[in-house]
Amino acid sequence: MIQNQTYLNVADNSGAKQIMCVRILKPGNAKYAHIGDIIVGVVKEAIPNMPVKKSDVVRAVIVRTKKMLRRPDGMHIRFDDNAAILINQDNNPRGTRVFGPIARELRDKNFTKIISLAIEVI
Amino acid sequence: MRLEKCYICSSTVYPGHGIEFVRNDAKVFRFCRSKCRKTFHMKRNPRYLRWTKAYRKSHGKEMAIDSTFEFERKRQRIQRYDRELVGKTIQAIQKVDAVRVKREKDFYKSKMKQAKKQEQRTAVRELEKGINLIEPDILRVKESVRAREPVQQGVALVERDQSNTSN
Repeated sequence: MIQNQTYLNVADNSGAKQIMCVRILKPGNAKYAHIGDIIVGVVKEAIPNMPVKKSDVVRAVIVRTKKMLRRPDGMHIRFDDNAAILINQDNNPRGTRVFGPIARELRDKNFTKIISLAIEVI
Repeated sequence: MRLEKCYICSSTVYPGHGIEFVRNDAKVFRFCRSKCRKTFHMKRNPRYLRWTKAYRKSHGKEMAIDSTFEFERKRQRIQRYDRELVGKTIQAIQKVDAVRVKREKDFYKSKMKQAKKQEQRTAVRELEKGINLIEPDILRVKESVRAREPVQQGVALVERDQSNTSN
């Protein structure tokens, strides 16, 4: 359950370390975003000398949430943290590596590039 | 369909039940109910919780080492589907289960035998240790009995005399 003002860790090597959600890009006036949803965020913390700077406005896709995710078979899954991956306008990742486990739901939403970069898909 | 085991209490987690927790190093923990999940998040070790299977096995309360446990194991090698093999496996499961139940019963019996001996031993030891607590009471009872005896004898004598005089 990601809403405006939520801080998310960045699970790639784009240069951002932490972003804050400022907008959820979903049809209608969506209040919460879940795994696989695209959000607009502000970079709050960044690694120096990288293309992404602090206070940049970025697009990102959510890959892990602390709020549990319900699978169609009734299983519930929850992760350790809220994490997102920065993407460009074509939904391709801006970084070249993906850190940590990634939920399988991203494949259904056509983030195949992220899935292929991920070491562990759960 | 895969039946998983709960990380804390080792009970079977059926499909559609329980919660999976994925740590950031991608290790998956499955819990059968909120009780188990909460204990995990309180960072408790299932080996030190009395109600878990892990505790009971590691403390010798239940049969832990047995060849019947070898059958129930996750196998990495993929087996090609074979109808005959499935039938055989199902029959074997029942047989192995019967053996396991019998062995567990024997284990429990032998365990209880030891427990009874231990109980008696501790009771004797406790009695020896605390005998001085009971002793004064026993002496007091004896003294009161002794004091009562002469009086009763005296009463009996008087009664006899009275009966003699009346005659």
